[in-house]
Amino acid sequence: MKSSPVHLLVLLAALAARADDVVPPEVLARVDATLPAGAPPPLQDHVLLEFTVGTDGRATDILVVESAGAAWDRAASEALAKWRFRPARHEGADVAARTRLSFTMPAAVLRDAGAPPEPVDAGLPPGPVVSEAGVDAGEPGDGGLTFFVADDAADAGHPRHEMATTVLGRSVPKSRGASDFQLEVGELQVVPRRGAADFLKLAPGILLTNEGGEGHPEQIFLRGFDAREGQDLELTVDGVPINELGNLHGNGFADLNFLIPELVESLRVLEGPFDPRQGNFAVAGSADYQLGLPERGLTVKGTSGSFDSARLVLLWGPPGETSRTFGGVQLFRTSGFGQNRGAQNAKAVAQYEGKLSDNTSFRVGALGYGATYKSAGLLRADDVVDGRIGFYDTYDARQGGDAIRAQVHADLHGHSGSLTWDSTAFFVFRSTRILENFTGFLHDTQLPQQNPHPQRGDLIDRDTTAFTVGARGSARWRTRLFDRIQELEAGFFARFDVVDALQLRVEAGGNVPYLRDYDLGSKLSDVGAYLDANLSPTWWLSLRGGLRAELLTYNVLDRCAAKEVRRPSATDPPGDESCLSQRDFGRYRDPTERNSTTGAVLMPRATVLVGPFAGVSLSGSAGTGVRSIDPQYVAQNLDTPFAGIFAWEGGAGLARRFGAHDVSARAVVFGTRVDKDLVFNEQEGRGIIGGSTTRVGTLVAARGRGAFYDVSGNVTWVQSKFDDTGLLVPYVPDVVLRADGALFHALPFLRPTGAPLTGRLGLGVTWVGRRALPYGQRSDVIFVTDLNAEVSWRWASLGLAVTNLFGAQYRLGEYHFASDFRTSGTLPTLVPVRHFSAGAPRAVMLTLAFRLGGDS
Amino acid sequence: MKRALPFLAALAALGCIQTTGGRIVAFEARASGDSSVVTGGPLAFTTPAGFDVTLTRAQLFVGALYFSQQNPQNYTLETSCVQPGVYTGEVRGAVRVDALSASPVPFPVAGNGTTAPTRAAELWLTGGDVEADVDKTVVLEVAGTATRGADSYPFEGRVTISQNRVVPPRNPALPGSNPLCQQRIIAPIPFDAELAEGATVSLYVDPRAWFASVDFSTLTKVSDAPPSYRFEDSSTSSAQADKALFNGLRSAVGPYRFVLTPP
Repeated sequence: MKSSPVHLLVLLAALAARADDVVPPEVLARVDATLPAGAPPPLQDHVLLEFTVGTDGRATDILVVESAGAAWDRAASEALAKWRFRPARHEGADVAARTRLSFTMPAAVLRDAGAPPEPVDAGLPPGPVVSEAGVDAGEPGDGGLTFFVADDAADAGHPRHEMATTVLGRSVPKSRGASDFQLEVGELQVVPRRGAADFLKLAPGILLTNEGGEGHPEQIFLRGFDAREGQDLELTVDGVPINELGNLHGNGFADLNFLIPELVESLRVLEGPFDPRQGNFAVAGSADYQLGLPERGLTVKGTSGSFDSARLVLLWGPPGETSRTFGGVQLFRTSGFGQNRGAQNAKAVAQYEGKLSDNTSFRVGALGYGATYKSAGLLRADDVVDGRIGFYDTYDARQGGDAIRAQVHADLHGHSGSLTWDSTAFFVFRSTRILENFTGFLHDTQLPQQNPHPQRGDLIDRDTTAFTVGARGSARWRTRLFDRIQELEAGFFARFDVVDALQLRVEAGGNVPYLRDYDLGSKLSDVGAYLDANLSPTWWLSLRGGLRAELLTYNVLDRCAAKEVRRPSATDPPGDESCLSQRDFGRYRDPTERNSTTGAVLMPRATVLVGPFAGVSLSGSAGTGVRSIDPQYVAQNLDTPFAGIFAWEGGAGLARRFGAHDVSARAVVFGTRVDKDLVFNEQEGRGIIGGSTTRVGTLVAARGRGAFYDVSGNVTWVQSKFDDTGLLVPYVPDVVLRADGALFHALPFLRPTGAPLTGRLGLGVTWVGRRALPYGQRSDVIFVTDLNAEVSWRWASLGLAVTNLFGAQYRLGEYHFASDFRTSGTLPTLVPVRHFSAGAPRAVMLTLAFRLGGDS
Repeated sequence: MKRALPFLAALAALGCIQTTGGRIVAFEARASGDSSVVTGGPLAFTTPAGFDVTLTRAQLFVGALYFSQQNPQNYTLETSCVQPGVYTGEVRGAVRVDALSASPVPFPVAGNGTTAPTRAAELWLTGGDVEADVDKTVVLEVAGTATRGADSYPFEGRVTISQNRVVPPRNPALPGSNPLCQQRIIAPIPFDAELAEGATVSLYVDPRAWFASVDFSTLTKVSDAPPSYRFEDSSTSSAQADKALFNGLRSAVGPYRFVLTPP
């Protein structure tokens, strides 16, 4: 073979961090790339690439800043995309970093620039070959016209293009122990998921159920808590709060359905109130989603499948911008898997991340979401067993709801000298309507002043409209003491909500309201401030924690303050009016009543971390948290009662790299006590405040990642009891097991037009033990397996997902209470019986996706 | 092994309390005349008003039984037909009870409920829908003879609870204060029990209490030869006897007694 190797000396410029506290990315593995045949000589002496090294160590979003010609640029870019880095570290945590590399041509090539390189023989062995950093990548094989990576990058550094590392995004909070899960979705994105809320399952001990339909938020069970729709879990997306103050479905109601799952890049789940940054509703813990789109270019993704379901997703990430710059649209419709389960929604989101300087980055974004959906609700198990109703049927086809969310947000992140700071501002409009009927015809109380009436039906029609404006910010000061970095952070959170909430009871068979349960106009504020220290007296000991203060104010106008009068006016009786304007003997009163009150609380939180010793760290945490009460429960000038929680935990974590395999594992024991726990009440159709509860449990979680796999698994056991009786808290699962796995690799022997076919396989398994139900009952076991297989080639991919692979007919949510749906005669059924919401049957979805215009 | 026993016992004890408390149960229900009643024969007794009554027919139609956690003192009797709180048991089937027979008649359906403490029982005298405007079910049928001194009152009576039993509200501004369904429910009948799987709930009906306040002399005479009297089936009747029988029928204390027999 006549070719003489063309040595493109790829130079790794000196990694010079602009800021002292930034550790730049480090090369772990390099790839030689074959130059396409017939490439013209380079136009200049180097190719300058700008790219992002993600926290997964991959180079993405590669942009050619200075070109040496298309073929050279492409070859360099393709090679770089296969490199593996140790991510940049900022303040001790992995962060995405935008950086540059200059690939400089060897002198020999430049001398021959006038003559094109000789063509490559067809029989030459193709690249790439992965080699470990620090090991001689070797000369290209004889006859190979290849790029390869020089080991001595420093000597070959191009003087004009030193690498600059600019850390993007927000500061990553320091770990608060073994229950602090920084979950990068990564390749596990391939595991089938119903929505963005499903990513929570990557954290241990979380069960999601849903009796309300496709647009209804998931009910979240976490570590022995029934957090309902988020009332006990502080949920944020890039720092923007999702929990809604004053929602009649429950104070803290959180709907994650506005998220496009493909845009979820990572999330942090902290199971317990151990971080002073956690605010209201962080009872069972908190979860913060981080959005991002690592893939650049335009992605068009269409899905169609069972139950007349169709989904169209358009995503775009402009090349040259960071993964936090993206846009996305989703349109979805389905007829649902049984009666009354149709749904439609549309989502749109756009965000831009840019730099104001090397030390300061910013993001601005906006999103919109609209959904309407039907809901089957719950069924009585005895009706299903006796054949009076089908497993996937409904009693009341009026159940369902709709939701709207509009949001704009912006944030700044910067670091200057010893100070790092973050600021976020947000404005959210939210509208939620939910129609649910849990009990049929049971709770239409005959009031004396009302005309005699039969049971008119228990359909609850809740509508909440809220405007939220708020901000959060923090500043972290760092200094060196005991030859170690010590940190002190001060921060705040503030939100102000104007909420309009109306709850009606609607007569059966129509859409006519007959009773107004609540009609509230609330002005609410929640302001918190915290001080957090991160002290490290020795290399193996870290003390983290501080104090958080929270103050909430309520100004609640109850437009339906009087509902009953014992001695009404004989000449002007109120009759069936819901909101009365008279007191005894017809004395006038305005039907409204305003209550203002406030409440403040101080919450200490602390964590001790010891290690790592050979990759193993030990930790212990303790802290207190709060959940504010619903506006309808406040009374004039009475201190706002909080539900308080005390939590503790101890755990051990392992984070090691074994060759090309990253392994992390942890084991935790934990305990929590809540003085006012929420217990589901079927009459209210939501959780109401019950007694104090204590739970103790343990969990084990592990994740392993390598060049072709990403697997994650966790199991949690918890026992949750009422303090006064020692009896179990109903509905919460005591054993939850979840496993996610992804395999991905180029398929052997399949290289149409020279490009490899890449296969990806995703598997998700959920196993939930028999949950405790009232009256000593236990639910059925839930065991569901979801599978997804994808094949991608160049810019196209085809996927087939099967959810509930084994076609299990299972009960997703189970309850035990009294209801009367008039299915078995005219005599009412008043005794508590089993109810359930049906889990989705097997569904098959085919997805075709195209990605255009990306360069990574 | 011996050392492990206490540990295993502790584990077993822990296992025993892994519950939310209580159980759900199925039970049988039956009804009969009071045990003091002679089976098959007429029942003779003297009322507090001095009437010697020989009862030859006393049949009660019970549409359903319900058992409640609600303490009898806390019953809301003015408006609500269904009590707030949790019902502990129900027998949703009708039976016609011969109150002159001590032979129990089983309810056609098994009862179901929970082991939560039962404090009160309810007799639903309805042919089906307790809220129906019209229900022509005869819930009580009685016949016999009452005598006082030289006066004799052969009588019969049939009671239905329909529009004939509507009670106008005392205050027209409170039109919902006496719903018709309340007339069909006899409650709260004291019944302290904990329902158990396989247990039997027995309802004993003592017809004597129905007539405790009846002044038979006020009965409507329907024929002279032979003399015959009748209880009018209407709350609008001005006859004391008519009101007293209906009130006696609906009295929660006296005519009815519940007994739980463990399995």
